[in-house]
Amino acid sequence: MAYTFPLGPYHPALEEPFKVNVQCKGEIIESATIEVGFSYRGIEMLAQQRNWIEVVTLIERVCGICSNTHASTFCMAAESIAGIEIPKRAAHIRTIVAELERLHSHLLWAGVGAEDIGFHSLFMEVFNLRERVMDMLEAISGNRVNYGMNCIGGVLRDIADPLSHLPVLDAMEKTMTNIVIPTFTKNPTVLARTRNVGRLSREQAIEWAVVGPVARASGVDIDVRKDQPYLVYADLGFTAVTRPEGDVLARVVVRALEMLESIRLVREALKSIPDGKLRASEGMPSVPAGEATMRTEAPRGEAFYYVASEGGNGPARVKIRTPSFVNIPAIQAMITGLPLADLSIVQASVDPCISCTDR
Amino acid sequence: MTADPPTPLTERLASINGVASVSFHNRGLWVDGPLLDVEAMADAMAGLGIRLGSITAIPQSAKGETTIIYHFISESIIISFKTQTRNGALASLAGRLRAAAWAEREIRDLFAVDFPGHPNPLPLIKPSGFANGMLREAMCGPAALAKSPTSALRVK
Repeated sequence: MAYTFPLGPYHPALEEPFKVNVQCKGEIIESATIEVGFSYRGIEMLAQQRNWIEVVTLIERVCGICSNTHASTFCMAAESIAGIEIPKRAAHIRTIVAELERLHSHLLWAGVGAEDIGFHSLFMEVFNLRERVMDMLEAISGNRVNYGMNCIGGVLRDIADPLSHLPVLDAMEKTMTNIVIPTFTKNPTVLARTRNVGRLSREQAIEWAVVGPVARASGVDIDVRKDQPYLVYADLGFTAVTRPEGDVLARVVVRALEMLESIRLVREALKSIPDGKLRASEGMPSVPAGEATMRTEAPRGEAFYYVASEGGNGPARVKIRTPSFVNIPAIQAMITGLPLADLSIVQASVDPCISCTDR
Repeated sequence: MTADPPTPLTERLASINGVASVSFHNRGLWVDGPLLDVEAMADAMAGLGIRLGSITAIPQSAKGETTIIYHFISESIIISFKTQTRNGALASLAGRLRAAAWAEREIRDLFAVDFPGHPNPLPLIKPSGFANGMLREAMCGPAALAKSPTSALRVK
């Protein structure tokens, strides 16, 4: 018998509101539609009512998980219009915080994914690791989320003793290599719920224009850090992780290996951080009339910003396209033909961020 | 057409029906065409294997036309096509490019731009009870609203 099953907007697996309406026949999903917008905040409009200092604080609130991504991408767009080149030390610090944020985000996702497949002990292990990352971010910025590190022209805070953070990175790498990654990639419970589940072929990934780990797990080798390097990624060297399978397991593996690459990037950036200023200038930034586009690699994929200035105290237009805005629609393609019981882990494998999507 | 030496890409962009100019600045290619044939643009970019990244809408007045910017991403560069609505509408690209589907629905919700031919023209973010264009008026004259800095600590 055919029936429609609404998953959400108050969600059993995610803390944010979005809705997947699935049309089923028996236990098999025949089609689905997705609804968002339950927590739309109008941040693009609010951005037009704030000056160049206040707006950075606002933009950072687009998302609690990838807050630094949004603030830094916006600042980079404004810096592009103004022709500001940030000091090398500031670029290192932005890179360090960006990669710690990616670690934090991927570990959060891994914990939620473990919980979704009923693997509670793995959830505890992952969240224990996530605490170490958040402690490190707190030690650097004073905050566990919304780090307040960015300003137009550089960063607001220094990393006083960069090498003091290396032992934590070593410990995290050891736990990740010895426990978390083998469990996610070899444990029969995990494999049974992720292998050949929720496939998105390379052709479908291109058709749906997905980005980030979702694209790379379908064999689409795109990563802004590699394709259009920014901050100090070109100096540190960067290896993108791709998998051809396109299933939930591939998304798990891509994020797991990316965490090791993030640890390496943070370690290298901490070791090579140069002396120098934190900001190109002090006080209210002067942004002349102009427009710029900017993209960075957020934890969930490419973040895109369009910023226009009319030379006034604040931006004339800020357009924010988050990675989840293009990744979430592809859930429809992933779940068609699957048992209803797989819906939870498949939609979680996209790592959908509703806060980002609903800006 | 452009101050920079033409390349095969810029020449291809310039050949799209309705393109008036192609220029390079702020690390991106910017294509202007008030009467741009957006369907021809979509077909040309699909032919080049360049994906649609986003669409920006900028209302020019409370009830007038809207500037629409299509941002295509070729991985090494962003190509932004700037055009404007005609009688408040532009042909939908959602049938050609899946990435346009949600972007057009959101623009319709916020700015009341119509995209005739959209295969699923339902509201995306607009709550029930609101009319299309719920933020159009509020986002028309933004620069005058921006306040001066309020913190003396950050002003020099």
